[in-house]
Amino acid sequence: MKMTPRVVLIGSVAILFTIVLIMVVTPYFTVDRNPSEIFRSRSEIEAAGRKIYIANGCVYCHSQSIRTIDWGYGAERIAQSGDYVADHPILLGSQRTGPDLSQEGGEHPDDWHIAHFMNPRSTRPLSIMPRFDYLGVKNIEILTTYAQSLGLKDADDRMARQREWKEKVINAYEAGPVKNVEFLHAHVPEGWRNIPNPYPTSPAGLARGHKIYQDFCIGCHGPVGDGMGPAQPYIYPPPFNFTLLKNRGVSGGILYYQIMNGITGSAMPYFKKDLESEKIWEVGNYVAVYFINQSDANEAPRGIDAAYEPLLP
Amino acid sequence: MVPFSNMLPEKNQTSLLFILTSAFWMAVATFIGLLAATELIAPDLTRGMGWIVFGRLRPMHVNLVLFGFVTPGLLGAAFYYLPRLLKTELFSERLGMWTVAFWNLTVLAGGLTLSAGHSQGREYAEFIWPVDLMVVAIFSMVLYNFVMTVKHRREKTLYVSVWYANAAIILTGLTFALGNVIWRPTSGALTGIPDAILLWFYGHNIFGLLLTPLAAGVAYYVIPRACRTPLYSHTLSLLGFWSLIIVYTHVGTHHLLQVPVPTWLKVIGVVDSVGMVIPVMAFLINIWYTARGHLGEIHADVSAKFVFTGTIMYFFVSIQGSMMALPDVQRITHFNNWVVGHAHIGVLGFAGMIALGGIYYVLPKVLDRPLHSRFLADLQYWLVLIGMVGFTIVLTIVGLIQGTAWLNGETVYRVLPEVHVYYVVRASLGVMIFTGALIGLYNVLRTLFFPSGEAAS
Repeated sequence: MKMTPRVVLIGSVAILFTIVLIMVVTPYFTVDRNPSEIFRSRSEIEAAGRKIYIANGCVYCHSQSIRTIDWGYGAERIAQSGDYVADHPILLGSQRTGPDLSQEGGEHPDDWHIAHFMNPRSTRPLSIMPRFDYLGVKNIEILTTYAQSLGLKDADDRMARQREWKEKVINAYEAGPVKNVEFLHAHVPEGWRNIPNPYPTSPAGLARGHKIYQDFCIGCHGPVGDGMGPAQPYIYPPPFNFTLLKNRGVSGGILYYQIMNGITGSAMPYFKKDLESEKIWEVGNYVAVYFINQSDANEAPRGIDAAYEPLLP
Repeated sequence: MVPFSNMLPEKNQTSLLFILTSAFWMAVATFIGLLAATELIAPDLTRGMGWIVFGRLRPMHVNLVLFGFVTPGLLGAAFYYLPRLLKTELFSERLGMWTVAFWNLTVLAGGLTLSAGHSQGREYAEFIWPVDLMVVAIFSMVLYNFVMTVKHRREKTLYVSVWYANAAIILTGLTFALGNVIWRPTSGALTGIPDAILLWFYGHNIFGLLLTPLAAGVAYYVIPRACRTPLYSHTLSLLGFWSLIIVYTHVGTHHLLQVPVPTWLKVIGVVDSVGMVIPVMAFLINIWYTARGHLGEIHADVSAKFVFTGTIMYFFVSIQGSMMALPDVQRITHFNNWVVGHAHIGVLGFAGMIALGGIYYVLPKVLDRPLHSRFLADLQYWLVLIGMVGFTIVLTIVGLIQGTAWLNGETVYRVLPEVHVYYVVRASLGVMIFTGALIGLYNVLRTLFFPSGEAAS
C-alpha cells in the first residue's frame, strides 16, 4: 500500500466519518426518547441549581447512574433512558467519591442539606466533600432545590412526605420535651417498643458503639449527646437531646428503630443502609449508657443468650 | 515572544517553543493534581477558596495535562521530525511561533475559565464555547503547517511518523468539534442518553486519535534513530496505523456498559476494546523488534529510555483497558479509583513519558549542544517512573477495595475511612511526579537559555 498524503488524510477522515455514522449518528436517531414514568421537566430554580452543580464540578464525585448491581442510596430504582430525556448535558458521572445522587430528592429535608453544604462533616463526620459555604446561603438554597428534585416525580413524592412530617415533628418539638418524647415513642411500632437491647453491656461493645457514634452521630447530637453538634444551628427542630429520655419509657428497641428507620421530616436520616444490626444495637446502647444513663441491655425478655455473650454474675 | 525568539536559534523555533510550553504546563498541571489529591486527604485545607475547590481542580488538571503538557510535548517532537523526514524546511516558522503563542493563550484561557466556574460539565469537554473555538483554531494552524510542509517535501515516501502526526491533528480537530457539540454554543451538549454516547465517543478518542498517534509517531522516529537501525516492518506500520483508526474509534461505549444505552452499541464497544490488541501489538512488535539487540543503545540515550519505557506502559495500559471493558471485570472497576490509575498509566506512563523522551531527543539536536544535565534528566525519569507506577498500584488497590466493598453492599460513606491511608500514599507519590516536572522545567530552561559553562566550553 502506497501511503500518499491523500491516502493518509482522506482515508483516515473517510474512516472517521463512517464510524461516526455507526457509533454516534445511528444511536442518535434510534434510541428510545420516551420519558419514563417518573419524568417531569425541571423548574427554573431547579435548572439554576443544576448550573451551580456543573460549575462546581459536583459530577466528578457524584454519579447519577444507578446500576443493577448497586445497593446504596438510590438503588430502589435502576436508571432508565427515559429518566434522562431532558438532561442537557447528561450528568452520569464517572466516579463515586461520594454517593450516587440519582434519587437524592426527598431523602433528607432541606435543613439537613443546608447544614451539609455549609460543612459536610457536620452531618457526615467522615465525609471528604469540600465545604460549599463560599457559594453563599442563597446559592446553597438554589443548589438544595436542585438536589431535592433528583428523582423527579419520585423525589416529589418523597418531598411531600418530608413536608407532611416536618410539620408534625415541629409541632411535637414546640409542645415541649414531655409531649415530644411521647410523640416520638408513639410512632415506633408496638413490638419494637417492648424489646430491650438483646446484647449485654460490655466494655468492648461500648467501645464499638462509641466509634459508630463518632463516625455517624456526633455532628448533630454532639459529643455529650445534648444535641449541640456543629450542625445544630442549621437544623429545626434541633437535634434531639438524649438526656431528656431518662425515665420516659425509652427502650433498646425504640432506639434501634429510630436509628434504623430515621425520623422523616426531622434531619434524622435512616441508617439501615450504612449500619448492620449489631452496630445499631451497640450505638444505641452507647447512647443509653452514657447519655441517658439508663440501659435495658440484656434484660428480660432475653431469650437464649447468644453463644459469645458473657455469663451474668 | 520577541525577546525569546532572539535567544533561540534561527531554525526549529516552533519545536523549541512547544517544548518550553510542555515543560511549563507539566509543572502547573502536576501541581494542580497534587493539590487536588491533598484536598481528598484534608478537605478543609482550601476552605473558602471556590476557585480551587476539588470539583474545579479536577477538570483543570485533566485539561492542562492533555492540552498543556502532553500534546505540546509530542508536537514539539513532531515539528522537529516532520521537516527532517520530508527533507525540507517547516512550511512556516512564523506561523508555528504564532501557533505556540495562541496555544498558550488557549490553555491559559481554558484553565482560568474552569477555575472561575465556567464549565460545560462534560468530561474532557469542559471548556466553554469560546475556548472550544480556540482549540479548533490552534489545531487548524498546526494542520495547515503540517500539510503545507508535506506538500513542499523533497522526499517522495512518507514515513510512518508523518502519517500519524497528520492523521492525529486532522482527526482530533474534527472529533473535538463534534464531541464539544460546537454548533450549540450555550451548552456544548446533546440531550439525554445520546449526549453520553457522543461524549464517550469523543472522550476516548482524545486518547485514541490524539495522544496515541502522536506518541506512536515519536516512538517510530526516536527508537530506530537511537538504535541506528531501520524499522522492523513496513507492513506492521500499515496494519498498526489503519487498525488504530478503525478499532479505537469504536470503543467509547465501554464507558457506558452499566447505563441504559442500546445493547448492540455495548457489544461493539466490548468487542472492539478486546480487538485493540491488534493495533497495540502491531505497533509494539514493530518497535520492540526494531529495538531487539539494541537495548544498550536505548539505555545509554536518556530520550530513548523515556520513549521505550512509554511503549512498555502502552502495553500495560492497553491490556488492562481491554480487560476493563469486559462486563464482569467492570462490575468491580467501574466508578472507582481503579480507572483513575488506568488513566495515569495511559496519559503519564505512555504518552507523557514519550513526550518527555521527545523533548530530550530534540533539544540537543536542535541546539547542537548537550542537555544542561543528563543527571537531572535521569533523575526526572526515575521520579516520574516510580511516582507513576507507585501511584497506579495504590489507586488499583483503592479501586479493588471500593469495587468489592460496594458489590458486597457497603455504602460509599462506609468505605471512605478504609481508603484514606491510600490517599495519603497517593499524594506522596504525586509529590515525586511534581518534583520530576520541576526538575524537567529547570533542565529545559537551563539547556535553552543558560547553558552551563562546562557544556559551552
